[in-house]
Amino acid sequence: MRQFKAILRKDIVMELRTKEMITSMGIYALLTMVIYQVALSQSGTAFDPRNIAAGLLWLAFVFTSMLGLNRSLVHEKDQGCLEALLLSPVDRPVIFFAKASGNLIFLLIVQVLTIPVFAFLFLQEGSYAGEWWMIPLALFAGAVGISGVGTLLATMSVNTKGKDFVLAVLFVPLMYPLLLAAVSATSAAILGGDGSVQQFWTGMGMMAAFDAIMLLASFALHEFIVGA
Amino acid sequence: MTQSVTSDVAVEVRELTRTFGARKALDKVSFDLPAGAFLSVFGPNGAGKTTLVKVLTTLTAPSKGTAKVSGFDVVADAVELRSRIGLISHNPLLYPDLSAEENLEFFADMYGVPDAEARVRELLVAVELDHRRLDLVRTFSRGMLQRLSIARALLHRPKVLFLDEPYSGLDPHAVEILDNLIAQIRADHTFVMISHDLSKGLALCSHALILAKGKVVLSALREELDEEQFAATYRETVGLGVA
Repeated sequence: MRQFKAILRKDIVMELRTKEMITSMGIYALLTMVIYQVALSQSGTAFDPRNIAAGLLWLAFVFTSMLGLNRSLVHEKDQGCLEALLLSPVDRPVIFFAKASGNLIFLLIVQVLTIPVFAFLFLQEGSYAGEWWMIPLALFAGAVGISGVGTLLATMSVNTKGKDFVLAVLFVPLMYPLLLAAVSATSAAILGGDGSVQQFWTGMGMMAAFDAIMLLASFALHEFIVGA
Repeated sequence: MTQSVTSDVAVEVRELTRTFGARKALDKVSFDLPAGAFLSVFGPNGAGKTTLVKVLTTLTAPSKGTAKVSGFDVVADAVELRSRIGLISHNPLLYPDLSAEENLEFFADMYGVPDAEARVRELLVAVELDHRRLDLVRTFSRGMLQRLSIARALLHRPKVLFLDEPYSGLDPHAVEILDNLIAQIRADHTFVMISHDLSKGLALCSHALILAKGKVVLSALREELDEEQFAATYRETVGLGVA
C-alpha cells in the first residue's frame, strides 16, 4: 500500500506541476465536442442530437484517453524511469494498479470538465428526460475499464516504434464491448422513458463485468508484459 | 515471501541464455563472483553486457539457465532480490519534473528506507547536491544527474551494485565524486560494472570478464591478468562485432 500511494502521489504531483495530460486531454475532448456540434448543426430540426449524444460523448472519451494514456507512460520512459520503478522491491501488479488509478483520476477530471460543455451543446434546456444520477455512475464505470485496459496496453506499446498506432489498433477493438455498454447506459440516462432504468442497469452490469474481467486479465498479464 | 539468505557467492550464473527472437543476446553464460568482489565486464556493442545486467537486476527474464544474486534467484525471488541491489546506469533513472529531494524521497518510499528524511539529506550531501535539493531534475547537468543517480542507487544500502557504463559522459569533477563514492563503499559492497574503458575498468576491478556474441570469451582474476594479453583479447573481440 505504501508503494501504491507513493506512485500515485508522484504521478499527481508531476501532473499538477506540468498539467500536460489534463490540459491536452481536456482541450482535445472539448474540441471534439465543438466539431461534433458544427457537423450536426446543419442536420435540420427533424434530427434530434440527443439520440446520438451518448455515442458522441464516449467517442470523445475514447480518443481523448488514447492521447492521455500514451503520455502517462512516456513520462515513465523518460530517462529510464520505468526501469527505476521496476527495480523497486514491489510486485508488478502494484505498479499497474497505481498507474491505472492515476489515469482513472485524470480521466475523471477530464470528464467533469467536459460534461458541462457537452450538456450545453447537445442537451438543450428542458430536453434532458433521464435521471441525473445515472450519468456519473455510467461515466465512472466506463472510465474504470478505459483506464485499466488502457494502462496495460500503453505499457505494451510504449516500447514499440509506432506506439500511438499500436495503442489505437489494440485499444479500440478491446474497448468495443465496454463502449457498447457505456453508450447504452448513458443513452438511457439522457433519454429516459419506459424501460430506461432497466436499460441503464443492463449497461452497468455489462460494464462491471468487463471491468472485472479486464482488470483481472491486466493484473495477470502485467508481470509478463513488463518482463518481456 | 520473506526469507533470510546469506551467501559468500554474491553472483552465481549458470548456463544463462536470453534470446530475442532468433538472436541469442546471452548464450550459456556461466560465472561466479564472490561477495566483496568488483567485476568489470568488457565487450563490443551488442555483446550482451547490458542484457546480462538486465537479467541480474530482474528487469528481463532469462530464457534458459539460472542466476542468483546474494543467494536470491532472479526469477523466483525477484521482489526480495530487488531490495538488495542497486543500479547506476548511463540513464539517470530519475523523474525530470520532480526535484532532487522529491526523487530521492519517492524512491525511499518505494524501498521502505527507514528514517528516510535523514538518509536523503545524508546522500545529497555526499554527492554534493544539497544546495540544489529543491531544484527540478530537468535543470541539472549530465554530471549532476549522474551524481543524483548514484544517491538514488545507494538509498536503500544495497549489497550488490550494478554499474552500466557509469562514467559515460561525466565531467572530471563528477568522475572524481563517483571514484570517491566507490572507494568509500568498496569494502562492504559487491560491484558488477559494464565498461568500454579498459584502463578504468581494470583499475577498479578484482575480476574481469569479456563477453562477445553473448558468450564469455575470457574470465579471470585481476591479479592473474596479463594486461597486454587482455587488451589484445579485447581488441580481437571488438573485431567480432555485434552478436
